[in-house]
Amino acid sequence: MNCNEAISLLPVYSDGELDPVQSAEIEKHVLGCADCAARRDELASLRSRIRTEVPYHAAPAALRERVRAAIARGTSRSQPARPAGNRWSWLTGGALGGSAATVFAWFIGSAILEWQVGTDLVSEAVANHARATLGNRLTDVASSDQHTVKPWLSARLDYSPPVRDFSADGLPLVGGRLDYLDGHPVATLVYKYREHTIDVFVRPAGTGKPAPKSATLRGFNVAHGSAAGMECWAVSDAGPEVLASLVTHLTRAAAE
Amino acid sequence: MSASSPDESGPTRFEQAVLPQLDAAYNLARWLTRNGSDAEDVVQDACERALKYFGAFRGGDAKAWFLTVVRHACYDWLKRNRPAEVVPGDQETIENAPDLTSATPEQVALRNSSSAALAEAIAALPLGYREVLILRELEELPYREIARVVDIPIGTVMSRLARARGLLQRSPVLHAIRERSAG
Repeated sequence: MNCNEAISLLPVYSDGELDPVQSAEIEKHVLGCADCAARRDELASLRSRIRTEVPYHAAPAALRERVRAAIARGTSRSQPARPAGNRWSWLTGGALGGSAATVFAWFIGSAILEWQVGTDLVSEAVANHARATLGNRLTDVASSDQHTVKPWLSARLDYSPPVRDFSADGLPLVGGRLDYLDGHPVATLVYKYREHTIDVFVRPAGTGKPAPKSATLRGFNVAHGSAAGMECWAVSDAGPEVLASLVTHLTRAAAE
Repeated sequence: MSASSPDESGPTRFEQAVLPQLDAAYNLARWLTRNGSDAEDVVQDACERALKYFGAFRGGDAKAWFLTVVRHACYDWLKRNRPAEVVPGDQETIENAPDLTSATPEQVALRNSSSAALAEAIAALPLGYREVLILRELEELPYREIARVVDIPIGTVMSRLARARGLLQRSPVLHAIRERSAG
């Protein structure tokens, strides 16, 4: 690990959000680099100063009482204890609130579902993407030419991934790199969509359980597709529809 | 506080989920509005919203859920009362947000008091940076929950945190203190 990589990963490390492998690499680097050790200490000192010097504003007692009172009022209004005479007013009063609640329930429900989706592969792919974008090691071979990227990758793998530039569709190929997924080297195609970087991990189709077509993990979107014995995961902070479109393009190219 | 009647399982469940988060809610609202009584109004509004939508809350992390509601209430309040502080969420606009670290005379006086200086520097951060910093350092939320509360990608959480910390570390107020404490 060099200083540039360490500088971008140090905050993630000090936030305790780096995986054990990279944490070990950072620790090793910091042992031999006084500058990065100083950077780490500066981050730690800023954190401890914030936690000791900056006031945490606890809710005033009066607010707590007002909230309790509001809860008591609110619940007696929206959740009556089923007295017989009130049945119809409860029904009409509840209908509107109920439909709003349904919409919100759907919203929260799907958000939570998305939140929890995450096979090991998906989280590994997301970790790879985050690491590459943070560490600025986006590509091992930087080229928009599929005839450069494809042989470079094929020479280093025991398969030959489909590689195609989609500049005409707003998804230019910017290069490729080798990454690890599921314990094996994997071809990684790097595309741009406006300011977003999209990593596509391509490998021979696995025999395991089918992957979800799309997922959202830690704020990153992931789309999966397969064709002609290959499968791919596209990972980015770009919108899910962009990833779906890229995956469609790629699987079509692979099937040709 | 024990439940007083068997028919109150609804409110009791709500109280159990929300009341323990009241400090976090007020702390976030207080840092975003930078004012105690405004923060109280915002939190009360957030509680009413949360109560209304509580039927939809399926368990899970009550803190992240409630803070999301509080943040929405804060932004609605700011848009109504101080629209200039709420800039659209794109990076460029935030980068160009007014730099409040260039201070007024009374703030300069404050700066001589070191314990207030760091808090002041944080209060002066643009809203988009301030909120991720508060959620990370004072509420100690993990990245994925900050991403969820603020509704931004996790990469943006990281870059805003980095920028917020950079602004604090470069803040002249803090340099003065560091030199004093080092010397």
